[in-house]
Amino acid sequence: MDWLFLTEVSLAGIGAGGLYALTGLAFVLIYKATRVVNLAIGEILMVGAYVFFGFSAGLALPFWLAAPGTLLVSGLLGAGIERTLIRPMLGENPISIFMLTIGLGSILVGLVELVWGANPLRLPEFMPTQPLFLGEAYVSPKVATAFAVASLVVTAFLILFRFWRGGVALRATASDQAAAYSMGIDVPKVFSLSWVIACMTAGAAGMLVGAIGGISPTMGVFGLSVLVVVIVGGLDSVLGALIAGLAIGLLEALAGAFLGGEYKTLTTFSLLVLVLMVRPHGLFGTHEIERL
Amino acid sequence: MRMKYMIDRRAFMGLTAAAGMAAGVLAMAPTARAAEDATTDIVLGGSIPLTGVFAFAGEGIHAGIQDYVQIVNDAGGIEGRMLKYVPEDTAYKVDASVAAFNKITSQYHTNLYYGDSTAFSKTINPELERAGTMIMAGASFASELNDPEKYPLQFIPGPDYTEMIGILLKYIAKEKPGAKVAFVHSDTEFGRDPIAKGTEQASALGLDVVETIVTPPGSVDVSTEVLKLRRARPDYTIFHGYVLAPIPEFITQAKQMGMESKFMGTFWSMDNSMVMKMGEAGDGFMGVMPYNYYYDTSGDAPMLAKIREIRPEYQSTAYMQGFLTTMLMTEAIKRTLQDGKELTGANMKAALNSIRDFDTGGIIGVPISIPGNSIPVGRIYKADMAEKKMIPASDWISLGKTGE
Repeated sequence: MDWLFLTEVSLAGIGAGGLYALTGLAFVLIYKATRVVNLAIGEILMVGAYVFFGFSAGLALPFWLAAPGTLLVSGLLGAGIERTLIRPMLGENPISIFMLTIGLGSILVGLVELVWGANPLRLPEFMPTQPLFLGEAYVSPKVATAFAVASLVVTAFLILFRFWRGGVALRATASDQAAAYSMGIDVPKVFSLSWVIACMTAGAAGMLVGAIGGISPTMGVFGLSVLVVVIVGGLDSVLGALIAGLAIGLLEALAGAFLGGEYKTLTTFSLLVLVLMVRPHGLFGTHEIERL
Repeated sequence: MRMKYMIDRRAFMGLTAAAGMAAGVLAMAPTARAAEDATTDIVLGGSIPLTGVFAFAGEGIHAGIQDYVQIVNDAGGIEGRMLKYVPEDTAYKVDASVAAFNKITSQYHTNLYYGDSTAFSKTINPELERAGTMIMAGASFASELNDPEKYPLQFIPGPDYTEMIGILLKYIAKEKPGAKVAFVHSDTEFGRDPIAKGTEQASALGLDVVETIVTPPGSVDVSTEVLKLRRARPDYTIFHGYVLAPIPEFITQAKQMGMESKFMGTFWSMDNSMVMKMGEAGDGFMGVMPYNYYYDTSGDAPMLAKIREIRPEYQSTAYMQGFLTTMLMTEAIKRTLQDGKELTGANMKAALNSIRDFDTGGIIGVPISIPGNSIPVGRIYKADMAEKKMIPASDWISLGKTGE
């Protein structure tokens, strides 16, 4: 056994898992508050990457302006979507809202193609490029940076949900909307807040994913692969997104290294089937009991 | 009780007359359309991916076809007949491509067709043969299409993917005999296409294929794959099945690990603007290209000069592909008409196959022949990031029929 190779592969997998966890968080935030499975998260991530490209390459803004600008635009996009498309649909059949988010994804792709064209592009370099070695083990500096950012954001959310008033309000709304209303929580505002934060998270993930893999109108496919992560982790669990993200990242890396790249997806989906058979609500998702 | 359906004589006569007229109109319609079109336009239909994942190429292809059609028509058409280009956007979806084909071929007597994908080329082939009225080429360089028996009315305006790999390997074998080669390809039909035969070709040329790495479609991080590549320590790494991502990240990480492999690509990752987007990682990136680049001023290339006159800004290699496809289709029509033959698919394909040592006006740097379904010619180019150009690294390389 080549332990150095195994260590490097494992580090690469965990690094990639950080990106899964960050994007998974965007799914979880919206689902937790509004019970909407937002299939347009991948496209919102893609819009975030393009907005950053617009700021950093188009307007030549420095990173410290382009990044907050991207988060701001992503947040506004989330607020706009929630207020104009999602809120009027609340109470409707979940399938209708689900389909609406699929349509929204197509619209966002079309808008990006209109503004920036269909060609794949590269983001200006904003991450460290010096090779990083942990002992003798090589870690891609971009993946390490993405992992660090993802870990910070997910940890921040875990703390916020526990101690911040807005986070507690979100948890209360997720738990019981009627009870939250009766306790004076502005539930529509909580809905809006969850979309804003989720879209900002997706925008941040878009910058990181784009910095590693480049950007194109089809990069939203990444969101679909993350859907597997949140289903495994539990659609309403922030911790689940983190653990499942890291686990699937690691699993994919090991499968890719020892079985071959063609087995990555097969391994991931096999895990999904297995988890759904044992725990249909995901590893850390809330097991809801309906009483008649 | 028995029901009696009564119809009077007058109604019966009326119905019979109506049915007869309808049948007559239906029977005469194709004849009338064919007769009309035989003296007028020659129609080039196109399932063109102007939107969707392949739009970056579709836009170039569309412009290339448009421009060559304009050049032909400005010069008086083909034997006095104008060329009419009828495109439909397909978003690179097979069902939309088939729907576009059905729409265009039902509205026009279509002589020529441009398809957008391998899947479409394979799907539409039986219909193409059944109709027998047109020849087709497209965006696909799939090796499977390079079979005149299975695809008698189609052609590839360049080398197929296996031939592209063959050209790269021939170059490598000459540059560094016995070199170690690795293939990195996407886990798609496009990516897998030339790998098995490419491995056989490498062995035949005395090269050692030390690793074959597969990346799932849409994968972002390729760290694991680069680690595998580092273990194999190839002298040359050939990417296939990609346009841009994940090649830059692959090369960046490989260089950070101290690898000294030379990185190469095939047609769709070789457009000048795409390679330049790789940034620093792209410096020295090599690959096979069957066409001259837009900015090439060496040699006698009147068509490139004409293109630069029509469009002063850079045009992609996809543009060159669309342009050359239309040029070859036009040549096939011209030869068929000059021979006094009917414009059937078989006659046009035979005319296309009669092309020997044909001067493309500099689109391809050497005279070309099309004995089968492909043009197995290409040249190795190398990225010069300081010049922001792909620079020739070899002379034109022609393969025999077997790709050896």
